[in-house]
Amino acid sequence: MAQETKTRDKAGDSEYTAVGKPTIRIEGVGKVTGQTKFADDLTFPHMLHAKVLGSPHAHARVKSVDTADARQHPGVEAVIAAADLPAYKMNPSNRRGVIFAVDEVLFQGQPIAAVLASDPHVAEEALALIKVEYEPLTAVTDPISAMEDGSPLVRSAISDVDRSEEKGHVTIDVEQEEAEGAPSNIASKINFSRGDVEAGFAEADCVVEQTWRSAMVHQSYIEPHATIADFDNSGELSVWTSTQAPFYVRDELCQTLGIHESKIRVTATEVGGGFGGKIFLTELITAALAIVVKRPVKYIMSRKEDMLAATPAPFAQVELKTGMKADGTLVALKARLIYDSGAFPGAPVMPGCLFVGGYYKCPNLHIEGFEVLTNKVSVGALRAPGAHNATHAIESHMDIMARELGLDPLEARMKNAVEEGDPLPSGQPYPRIGLKDCLRAISESDVWKRRREVEGQANRGVGVAIGGWIGGLQPASAIVGLNGDGTIDVTVGSADISGTNTSFQQIAAEVLNVPLSSVNVTTGDTKTAPYAGMSAGSKTTYTVGKAVKLAAEDAKRQMLDIAAQRFEASPDELSVADGKVHLDGDDDKVLTFARLGKMTTNFGARFAPVVGRGTMSTRKSAPGFSAQAAEVEIDPDTGAITVLGYAIVQDAGFAINPLSVEGQMQGGASQGLGIALSEEMKFDEEGRLLNANLLDYRLPTTRDLPPIETIIVEVPSEEGPYGARIIGEPSIVPGGATIANAVADAIGVRVTDIPITPERVLRALGKL
Amino acid sequence: MGKVNISFTINGSSHQIDVEPQWTLLEMVREQLHLTGTKEGCGTGDCGACSMIVDGRLITSCCMLAPQADGSDVTTVEGLLANGDLHPVQQAFIETGGVQCGFCTPGMIMATKALLDRTPKPTLDDIREGLAGNLCRCTGYTKIYEAVMTASGQEI
Amino acid sequence: MRTFNFYAPTALDEALELLRKTDGGRPIAGGTDLVVQMKEAATKFPHPSSIISLLLIPELNGIEFDESTGLRIGATSTMSDIADSADIREHYPSIAEGAGIVGSIQTMNMATVGGNLCNGAPSADTAPPFLVHDAEFVITGPNGRRSLPADEFFVGPGETALAPNELLVEVRVPAPADRSGSAYVRHTPRKQMDIAVVGVAAAVTLTNDDRIENIRIALGAVAPTPVRATKTETFLSGQPASDESFAEAAETAAAECNPISDVRGSAEFRRHLVGTLTKRMLERAANRARGG
Ligand SMILES: Cc1cc2nc3c(=O)[nH]c(=O)nc-3n(C[C@H](O)[C@H](O)[C@H](O)COP(=O)(O)OP(=O)(O)OC[C@H]3O[C@@H](n4cnc5c(N)ncnc54)[C@H](O)[C@@H]3O)c2cc1C
Ligand code: FES
Ligand code: FES
Repeated sequence: MAQETKTRDKAGDSEYTAVGKPTIRIEGVGKVTGQTKFADDLTFPHMLHAKVLGSPHAHARVKSVDTADARQHPGVEAVIAAADLPAYKMNPSNRRGVIFAVDEVLFQGQPIAAVLASDPHVAEEALALIKVEYEPLTAVTDPISAMEDGSPLVRSAISDVDRSEEKGHVTIDVEQEEAEGAPSNIASKINFSRGDVEAGFAEADCVVEQTWRSAMVHQSYIEPHATIADFDNSGELSVWTSTQAPFYVRDELCQTLGIHESKIRVTATEVGGGFGGKIFLTELITAALAIVVKRPVKYIMSRKEDMLAATPAPFAQVELKTGMKADGTLVALKARLIYDSGAFPGAPVMPGCLFVGGYYKCPNLHIEGFEVLTNKVSVGALRAPGAHNATHAIESHMDIMARELGLDPLEARMKNAVEEGDPLPSGQPYPRIGLKDCLRAISESDVWKRRREVEGQANRGVGVAIGGWIGGLQPASAIVGLNGDGTIDVTVGSADISGTNTSFQQIAAEVLNVPLSSVNVTTGDTKTAPYAGMSAGSKTTYTVGKAVKLAAEDAKRQMLDIAAQRFEASPDELSVADGKVHLDGDDDKVLTFARLGKMTTNFGARFAPVVGRGTMSTRKSAPGFSAQAAEVEIDPDTGAITVLGYAIVQDAGFAINPLSVEGQMQGGASQGLGIALSEEMKFDEEGRLLNANLLDYRLPTTRDLPPIETIIVEVPSEEGPYGARIIGEPSIVPGGATIANAVADAIGVRVTDIPITPERVLRALGKL
Repeated sequence: MGKVNISFTINGSSHQIDVEPQWTLLEMVREQLHLTGTKEGCGTGDCGACSMIVDGRLITSCCMLAPQADGSDVTTVEGLLANGDLHPVQQAFIETGGVQCGFCTPGMIMATKALLDRTPKPTLDDIREGLAGNLCRCTGYTKIYEAVMTASGQEI
Repeated sequence: MRTFNFYAPTALDEALELLRKTDGGRPIAGGTDLVVQMKEAATKFPHPSSIISLLLIPELNGIEFDESTGLRIGATSTMSDIADSADIREHYPSIAEGAGIVGSIQTMNMATVGGNLCNGAPSADTAPPFLVHDAEFVITGPNGRRSLPADEFFVGPGETALAPNELLVEVRVPAPADRSGSAYVRHTPRKQMDIAVVGVAAAVTLTNDDRIENIRIALGAVAPTPVRATKTETFLSGQPASDESFAEAAETAAAECNPISDVRGSAEFRRHLVGTLTKRMLERAANRARGG
């Protein structure tokens, strides 16, 4: 396929009839009417509600758990502590392998025991009656001092770290060194080197060295974690859960509870926001409780529990030194990245290390990454996990160096931007990518063009930054069937978290040349749906979409075969249009899909049913890049920041549904803006979270976000359906740096920590 | 502790029921009346997912005690359909892409309805003020602004 | 949330009787503080055995204004009622500004002024405006009716001068003098849906030659209670209403307040904001006093 790039206009002109057109969501009516069922909207006969007691301490020894009084509480059906759990394969080195803390609690909110009752209020009241005796231990909260020799330990030594979940988000062949030797809080290290950094710095005309910090942030999906589980006497476990990863949940439950995968049915209910945070969390505990009581059990996390004990994204410190020649060539990069993993391993330091040195060609680099344990909730994935922390650093440096050398910040980036064939710090070459196209497009955005006007205006500034993500890879499959009435059913196993089922509808409609209204798409449960990887790592359209295309092509082939037999013609002479198979050149030889449906499903029908099958696996990723620009105004006396304008450009490869692609871009950008401006989980010295609610943990509101200017560019990927590439994640990556650069442009000084709060602005201005 | 007997109308139909005093209006509507369209995102008034219109005013039903709804006229998202047809606000949210995961959507739609009841042709600033109590994590709000403009018959 | 008995009396006497009878009963108005606190088991007092709703009591409702006697705001008036009242917007703009920033539209439609004041948060947004307008709080209880000046009402974080089983009935605010104006602003990281890091209200009355005849400044979230900045008030009395005196007043206010550091901001940051916002509110109030 020849490389062609275009910037898409709103109408989505293309040679196709279904793909590439703005398409309204297949499940839209259910959602606007409130008829869509989320996990908490489901109830079952004899269902019990679970409430979970979390540790008030961040680090303590659990000396005893006394549930006697709670059991006596009227209305309580069961109280379950560690000792009452069914046998399971406990793995203390893994968050996913521990249901209730046994001897040692490692973070505030870690589950200790649960109460079950028909009335959730009763269960909650009884929680207060569980008596736990703790012996508080030193809470290690600062990852930087936790790295030092002699730091108190976060926990007893661990082994067997399982990184399977991370691999779903970013798939790349890099080995992480698990820490060995004397017990330490460093869980793993990573190292990338190329060329000779010191020689590179010697060559540079401008060298910048700075330490950057980015706060621990929470995915803050509006629907908290929600799961229902049921276990019957035949040994079959059913789970309805708000997850991005039904098959992963099944696999984990199989391994931990020792139930065959064939005996587990996981139904991914509609996900009320996931962003990487809804992979596997409440499923194991809920399943274990259901196994004990043999009744359906519902566990809905309260917002507070979700803030305390889900899987937020890490704090990171990035120490970066970069060197540039006067002509703008980046010649050396040295970085040390420290990611706070919380109480269990799993921090995304590897992608951080890849991206800190992965956006620009740089002959000499040395990158070291550390994953450090602390007594905080253990982290998980948030949209392009680990990338924004590193991007904040490198993209701030690009601006600082360009400014010092008197270069245009976009040109400095353009000069060094990676292209197809350039290596990541790990050595892997990039496939075809659209970074330069994004840079060109952002220079055309209204926000960036306002730079000239804003220049010289006090306390106003415009900034730009880029970011990218490689994406995950997992095999996928899909089934496309022809119904008796000629309509088409697409069945997939991927949870629809971003409008993917609508894209699948478009793909099947395109292949079969039928109106969208003839195609429906279902996410099946793990027993009925064909396998798909987790809806994470932005890969769902790229992989499952490809499988749907193959399945639709297979179904089409089968239909043509039947029609060919019927018309005594060759399939090559046939084509499909308007829900009919036509014999080319003979207007009388038509077979409607409805007729074909009957011919393959009726009593005594001559032909077998049409069931198209698509399976795929690829090792080739389709990285996505985004460039963003912001215009801000600062109140120099209060430090308040107002975002006056924001623009995002992203390479979508091919936007199958421009409406969803824009939505993903705007949504990711808004999360990046939250990271940039207001989101921060704050802990006290004992490791207790100080802002476990959505008033003090500040997601951007409408008052904080202007309309976002949205520009799609399309550099087709090599293997994605119609050239589509990963979409969901790149949009969150540049926000922190974009705002940091705009703020620096406005006030002339740098705020090195994100979020850039008013207080930090005033400190940078020397007013505090 | 005694249940409280209350009467109210919801989406045009009258009810008289006994409620647990500590139940919120949200819990009563979801658990007792089985109207699960309204969502709970935080339970503490911070996200707006539970928004309903009570006696003409937009409220967060997660921090209103059910007994305090005695005598009120309540509208939830289920009450917007007229003879099975979508309300213009609902239609606009679908068309513009103002719906993604859909969890904030029922509350957001009620807040939009309340806004348009007060201000039939809102400016962008009116919209940004009127919806500030409704968090959406998926859309970044851009397409929600477009939905409100469309629903009020204005150019985007 | 744990259970309780619920009552919704329709007369004030009935409410007082219920409070007396139900040992550990608690009044509720909009519930935006109390319900949240009960859910999180974070009340300052033991979990209430009974909850007595005040919303159906006519004596607690209503907003009335009279040019000579001033303003009466019933305790169960909501923030929306107050922010939308033309009289309050015209004659007591700081009160409308304080009420008009509480939470979201939803919060303002539920939250009452009585709840805001009786909850006793140092950051309560209606407290500084009432302090600068010399409001009187009318209270009733087992021992009859009494009235307290606003600056004697707030006792500590979550604590007020209300005795057990007493209710706030209404807030009375004197009619503003000629050539007077008031203003309130707060700083929050988000533009809305946030709790004040610092709130500042000012009310001024100017002489015909633009001197400060009467001045009140009140600060929120910088002390265990909302407080008056009395040193700054003393300094400003009789001064010209000029940039210079406002700048100096801002420094005095920053120096006299004594904030703490917490999750919402450091003491230093708060002190700085007190200075900045005091200056701005003095300017805005003075402009309003001049008819601007
Ligand atoms: C999302 C959200 C945002 C918020 N934002 C703000 C904000 O920006 N600024 C701000 O100041 N506050 C804010 N609040 C707090 C709260 O909304 C206000 O304090 C509100 O005014 C409380 O009023 P209410 O009627 O809801 O009180 P309730 O919760 O009903 O009562 C509060 C307390 O006062 C007592 N009480 C109530 N009325 C009386 C009376 N007449 N006599 C005696 N005692 C009484 C109750 O027993 C209780 O202890 C916010 C709350 C939420 C949930
Ligand atoms: S659930 Fe009521 S405001 Fe969040
Ligand atoms: S659409 Fe998901 S929170 Fe709004």
